[in-house]
Amino acid sequence: MAATKVVVDPITRIEGHLRIEAQAENGRISNAWASSTQFRGIEIIMQGRDPRDAWAFVQRICGVCTVVHAVASCRAVEDALGITIPPNANLIRNLVHGMQFIQDHVIHFYHLHALDWVDVVSALKADPAGTSRLARSISPWPNNSETYFKAVQDRLKKFVSGGQLGIFTNGYWGHPAYKLPPEANLMAVAHYLEALDWQRDVIRLHTIFGGKNPHPNFLVGGMACAINLEDTGTINAERLVDVQAMIRRARDFVEQVYYPDLMAIAGFYKDWAAIGGGTKNFLCVGEFPEAGVNDFGKLYFPRGVILNGDLSTVHEYDHKLVKEYITSSWYEYPGGDDVGLHPYEGETKAKYTGPPAPWEYLQGLDKYTWMKAPRYDGKPMQVGPLGRMLVAYASGHDDAQGIVNEALGRLGVGPAALFSTLGRTAARGLETVLIARRMETWFNSLIERVKSGDTKTFAGEKWEPSTWPASCEGYGYLDAPRGALGHWVQIKDGKISRYQCVVPSTWNCSPRDKQGQMGPYEAALVDNHPLVNPEQPIEILRTIHSFDPCMACGVH
Amino acid sequence: MSATPLPPQPAPPRPRGFTLGHRIPPPSGEYRWVYLWDAPLRAMHWLAAIAIVALAVTGFYIGKPYFITGGAESADPFVMGWMRFIHFASAAVLVMTAIVRGYWLLAGNKFERFAALFPVRPRDWVNMWKQAKFYMLMERHPPAYLGHNPMQQLSYTGIYLVAAVMVVTGFALYGQSNPGGLINRGFAWVPALAGGIQMVRFIHHVLTWVLIIFIPMHIYLAMRADTLERTGVISSIITGGRFVDAKEKFIDAEDA
Amino acid sequence: MSFAAPSWFPATESVEDELARRGVSRREFMEYCSSLCIVLGVGKSEAPRMAAAILADRRPSVIWIQLQECTGCVESVIRTSEPSIGTLVLDQISLDFSHTLMAAAGHAAESAAAAAMAAEKGKYLLVVTGSIPLADDGIYLTIGGRTAKVILEEAAEGAAAIIALGACAHWGSVQAARPNPTGAVGVSEVIKNRPVVNIAGCPPIADVVTATVAHFLTFGRLPAVDGDGRPLFAYGARIHDQCPKRANFDAGQFVEKFDDEGARKGWCLYEVGCKGPATFSPCPIFQWNSHTDWPIGAGHPCIGCTERGFWDTMTPFYGRLPDVGGFGIESKVDILGAALAIGATAGVVAHAAATSVHQMRERKRSLPVVDPTSGGPGTPKA
Ligand code: HEM
Ligand code: HEM
Ligand code: NFV
Ligand code: SF4
Ligand code: SF4
Ligand code: F3S
Ligand SMILES: [Mg+2]
Repeated sequence: MAATKVVVDPITRIEGHLRIEAQAENGRISNAWASSTQFRGIEIIMQGRDPRDAWAFVQRICGVCTVVHAVASCRAVEDALGITIPPNANLIRNLVHGMQFIQDHVIHFYHLHALDWVDVVSALKADPAGTSRLARSISPWPNNSETYFKAVQDRLKKFVSGGQLGIFTNGYWGHPAYKLPPEANLMAVAHYLEALDWQRDVIRLHTIFGGKNPHPNFLVGGMACAINLEDTGTINAERLVDVQAMIRRARDFVEQVYYPDLMAIAGFYKDWAAIGGGTKNFLCVGEFPEAGVNDFGKLYFPRGVILNGDLSTVHEYDHKLVKEYITSSWYEYPGGDDVGLHPYEGETKAKYTGPPAPWEYLQGLDKYTWMKAPRYDGKPMQVGPLGRMLVAYASGHDDAQGIVNEALGRLGVGPAALFSTLGRTAARGLETVLIARRMETWFNSLIERVKSGDTKTFAGEKWEPSTWPASCEGYGYLDAPRGALGHWVQIKDGKISRYQCVVPSTWNCSPRDKQGQMGPYEAALVDNHPLVNPEQPIEILRTIHSFDPCMACGVH
Repeated sequence: MSATPLPPQPAPPRPRGFTLGHRIPPPSGEYRWVYLWDAPLRAMHWLAAIAIVALAVTGFYIGKPYFITGGAESADPFVMGWMRFIHFASAAVLVMTAIVRGYWLLAGNKFERFAALFPVRPRDWVNMWKQAKFYMLMERHPPAYLGHNPMQQLSYTGIYLVAAVMVVTGFALYGQSNPGGLINRGFAWVPALAGGIQMVRFIHHVLTWVLIIFIPMHIYLAMRADTLERTGVISSIITGGRFVDAKEKFIDAEDA
Repeated sequence: MSFAAPSWFPATESVEDELARRGVSRREFMEYCSSLCIVLGVGKSEAPRMAAAILADRRPSVIWIQLQECTGCVESVIRTSEPSIGTLVLDQISLDFSHTLMAAAGHAAESAAAAAMAAEKGKYLLVVTGSIPLADDGIYLTIGGRTAKVILEEAAEGAAAIIALGACAHWGSVQAARPNPTGAVGVSEVIKNRPVVNIAGCPPIADVVTATVAHFLTFGRLPAVDGDGRPLFAYGARIHDQCPKRANFDAGQFVEKFDDEGARKGWCLYEVGCKGPATFSPCPIFQWNSHTDWPIGAGHPCIGCTERGFWDTMTPFYGRLPDVGGFGIESKVDILGAALAIGATAGVVAHAAATSVHQMRERKRSLPVVDPTSGGPGTPKA
C-alpha cells in the first residue's frame, strides 16, 4: 500500500503556526516533516538597539512563556557588561519564573493538551456521583462533591444543547483513541474550567513584581520593584502576603488537582509510554540559580547533557558546542548553507525558497521551514521537562528522584517509559510539583534577607554606557518551561551589534540537518507511531502537543 | 518721524581716518536722532526677552529635574508644579508678544514692518555679505542701515522661526493633557508631521539650546553696535531712537 | 457586566427564514438536532424543541484569527476578570474559531471556521491578533499554505465588525520595529471597508478587550474611538494625567536611579524614562490582572506600549527623549547644546577682543593721516 500524504496545518492548541506533514502506511507514520510557517526577524530588529532595552523586545518573542526571554536577555547583557545582580533580584526573578512555569504547565495540560486525551462529549454521559467518588479517591481537593460535578455537567449540557459548539466544533469526539470513562472525562472538564480561574489568580505574582502579565517588566542589573516595608507604593508586607498566598494556592492546585489528574489520566494511556520517544539526546542548561547565575553547582535544576538515553552519564554542558544549521531552513549563510554557526557568529538572513502560496505540500523539498536546526556537538537534542527531569534524575537530584520514582511506581512502569509521548507529558507535571514546592524556599529566603535589612534589588554601577567597554559579548542561559534557552549578545559602542537566540522550540522543532538527522518532533512522529485515521490525526496531536510547541519562540 | 533737536556739542579732538570706530564722531560732525522703535515694540521686546529666559530656565527644569529635588512629603514643595506653571505662563506672555509684534509687522513704522524684519529684498542679500565681512573684520564700512541690517534681519527671522516652532511644539505637548480639547485637536498636525510626540519633545528640547545660543550673540552685537559703531542700538530698544550721522546715506531711509 | 444579544439578533425571525438565509435546508437542520439529542441522551422526539431553542437563543458568534504574533494578547484575554474567560466563552459568546483553544486541528479546524463564517455571514465579530507581513508576497506567515493577508481578507469579508486586538494587529508591534524585515502591518492597513477598532497595547489589558466586546454585543456597534481608532473609554486620557505618582511629579520628587531613595518611596519615574507623559492608556485606572498593580505602580517606567510605533519612537526606554540619529540621548544633546552656548559666549568674547586689538592697530596705523581740521562741532538737524 502506498504511503498516504498527511497534512495537519494549522496545528491548533499550541503557540504559533506549525505545520506537520507526514506519510502514513498501514496505520503507522513512516515519515514526518515539521514546518514552522511564521518568521518575524526579531534578531535582525535587535541590531543597533540599546542593550538595556533588549529584554523588552525579545520578551515579545513569546507571550506564552512571557518571562523567559526577558530574563535570558538580562542575563546575557549582564554577562557581557560584568554585572552581578543583588541576591534579592535573583530571588524575585526565580519567583516570577517559577510561577511562569507553574501557570504555563497547568494551562498546557488542561487547555492545550487535555482535549487530546479527554472526550468532552463523553463527559455529558457521566454520573456525577461517580466522578465525585473518583475525584475523592485521588485528591483532598475541596471541589469534589457530586453537586459540583453535576453543576459543571449541567452547564456543559446547556452549552452543547444550544447547538453552538464553538471551540469544540469538529473535535474528534468518539474517536476510538479516547480511553477515559465518562466520569474521568467529566472530572477533567471541571478542572479545565477551574484552571482558567486559578491561573488568572496566581499569575498576579507577576503583576506585583513586574507590573503586569503577560510581559511583566524586568531590568538589566536587577529588578525595578523596590522593597520598602514602610511605603505604600513599593514591595511591602501587604504585597508580600499576597505573594505568599498565591504561592500556596499554586502549590495546592498543583498537588491536589494537576498531579492527581495527570496520574489518573496517564493510567488509562499507558500504551503511550511506548510511542513517540524519538530523539534520545537530552539537554538541560539548568535553571533557578540559587546562589548567582554563575554558580552552576547551585542551580535547582542541574545542567547537563544525556546522550543516547544513557542515564548512567551526565555530560558537562558547554555553550561553545552549540551550532545552528540551515540546511533545511529558509535562510542563507555567507559561508554556505551547510556550515554550522555558533551564535556569536550567527546570522539571520531570510531567504525563502519554498513554493509561492497557496501551496499543498512541502514534503520532499530541500528547505521546508523557518526553524533553524541547532545541534549540540553535531547532535540533535531534545529539550524540555523530560530532559530536565532526566538530567536531574541521572545527576542524583533528591527531589527529582523522589517524584520520578513515585510516579513510575504509581503507574507501574519502568524508567524506559519516560522516553515517550506519555513520558514528556508526565515529566511536565512532575517538575511542576517540584517547582511549586521550591517557590516557598525562594520566598522564605527573600523574607529572611529583608528581615536582616537587605532590601537591595538593583546593581546600578554599570548602568551608564560610559562605564561599558567599547565592545563585549555575553551569554544568557535559562531553562524555560519548554526547555533549554540561550541568548547571545554582542555589544559595540553601547549598541547591540549581534543578537542571537536559540530557543527550546528551535531545538525540538528543528528540521533535518546536513546529515539528514531529524529534529525531535519529526523523530518522535516516526518512532512506533500510530495514525489510525489520517482525517482525524489525533495521534499526531498527542505527540506534538506533548512537546508543548511554541513556534513564535522557536523562529522569533 | 520725530527728530529732537540737541544743543551744539564740542567736537572731541579725535583723529580721523580708517578705524573701526570711524564713526566716532560722525565724519560730517553732525548728529541726527532717529526714532525707530515704537513703544509697543519695545515693550514686547522686553516682555519677550523675560519670557524666553523664564521659559528656558523652567523648560530645563522640566526636561531634567535633577537640580532641585523635592522634599520628603509630596505636595509640599510643588517644584515641578511651579516650574510648569511659570513655563506655561511665560509661554502665554510669549504668545501675546508674538501677536502684538505680528500686528506691528503690518501696523508699525517702516523700520518695524514686515519688509524691514525679513531679508526679502534683493539688496538685503548683497549687503548681508558686506555686513558679514565687517563682522569678520574684513570690511571697514558696514552697510549703513537705520533699522535692522540684513544680518540682523536674518537672525531675527531665524529667531522668530525658532520661537514659532517652540510655541507650536510646546502647545502640541501641552494639549496632550486634554486630548479631546481644542489645543490638542488644533495641534494634532504637529506630532503627525514630526513623527510622533516624542520627536516633538525632542525638537522642543533641542531648539531651547538654539535660543540660548542666540542670547549672548544678540546682546554682544547690540553692545558692539553701541560702543564701536556708536549707533545707539541699546538705547534704541529702551528709548526708541538712536543718534546717527546726519550726512550718512542710509540704505533703508527711503523705504516706504 | 451582562451581555444581551444585540437587538438586531434574529430572535424574532422564523426558523424557516433563518435557515433559508443561512443556506441550510430544514431537513439538514432537523437531522443535526436529532443527532444532538442523541448525544445529549434526551431522545429524538425532543428534536423540534431543541431546534426552536437553538434558533431562539443563539449566542453571538465571535471568530478569532491569529496572525503574526507572540500570543501574548491571547494570554492577556484569558486573564480577564469580569466576565471570566470561562463565562465569556461558555455563556455569552460563541467562540467559533480560536487557534489557541480549538479542539480540532488542520482541515477540521479550518472547515469549522469556514462553516461559522458562512452561517454567520455579516453578523460575526472578527477578532484579529497579530500583524500581516506583506513583504515578499506574504510568505513570512502562511497557515494551511495560505498567506495571512488572504486569510484576513476572507475572514473580514463577512464580519460585522473587526477588533484589532493588541499592538500587532493595531500597527505591527515588535516585528514592525525598524527595519521591519517582514513588512508587517496592522489590520486597518489591509482592511479598509469594515469597521475596525484598535485595542492598543502589547498586550492590552484584558478588561479593555472584554469591555469592547460587551459594548459591541450590548449596543450593536463598536465604541467611539480616538484618531488612531482606539476606544475612548480606555485610551481617552494620558497616563501622566491619571497617574498616582503625579503628585510626586508636581512636587519634584523623582527616582533618579533605580532602587534609590526615591524609588523606595515610590516616587515618579519621569527621570528614568517614563513615557507616561506621551502615552494614552487606562493602566493607572483599570490596572492589570484583576486590579492588582500596573507597570509604574511596580516601579518600572511606562514604555508607551499603547502608542503606534513605540518600539522606535519611545526608545531608549530609560531615556526621556528619543535617540535621533544616535544622538538623542539627553546627555549628548545637552552636552552639545551647552558646549555650543559656551562656545558662542567664548566666541563673542574672542570676537570682542579681536575687534579691540584690530581697532588699536588700525588707530595706530592711521595716526599720521589725521586731519586736525575735521571733526568740528556739528549741528544736529531738526
Ligand atoms: C508657547 C510656548 C511654549 C509652550 C506652550 C511650552 C510648553 C511646554 C510643555 C508642555 C512642555 C512639556 C512639559 C511636560 O512634559 O510636562 C515643555 C517643556 C519644555 N519647554 Fe516649553 N513651551 C513653550 C515655549 C518654550 C520656550 C520658548 C522654551 C525655551 C526657551 C521652552 C523650553 C522648554 C523645555 C526645555 C522643555 C523641556 C523639554 C523636555 O526635555 O522634554 N518652551 N514646554
Ligand atoms: C542689552 C540687551 C538687548 C538689546 C539692546 C536688544 C536689542 C534689540 C533690538 C534693537 C531688537 C530689534 C527690535 C525689533 O525689530 O523688533 C531686538 C530684537 C529681539 N531681541 Fe533683543 N535686545 C536685548 C536683549 C535681548 C534678550 C535678553 C533677548 C532674549 C532672551 C532678546 C530677544 C530678542 C528677540 C527675540 C528679538 C527679535 C524679536 C523682535 O524683533 O521683537 N533681546 N533686540
Ligand atoms: N524560550 C521559550 Fe518558549 C519556547 N520554546 C518556552 O518555554 O514558549 Ni513560548
Ligand atoms: S501585541 Fe505584543 S503581546 Fe500582543 S501578540 Fe503582539 S507582541 Fe505579543
Ligand atoms: S510616573 Fe510617569 S506617568 Fe506617573 S507622574 Fe511620573 S512621569 Fe507621569
Ligand atoms: S508600558 Fe503599557 S502597560 Fe501601561 S503603563 Fe505603559 S501603557
Ligand atoms: Mg535564533
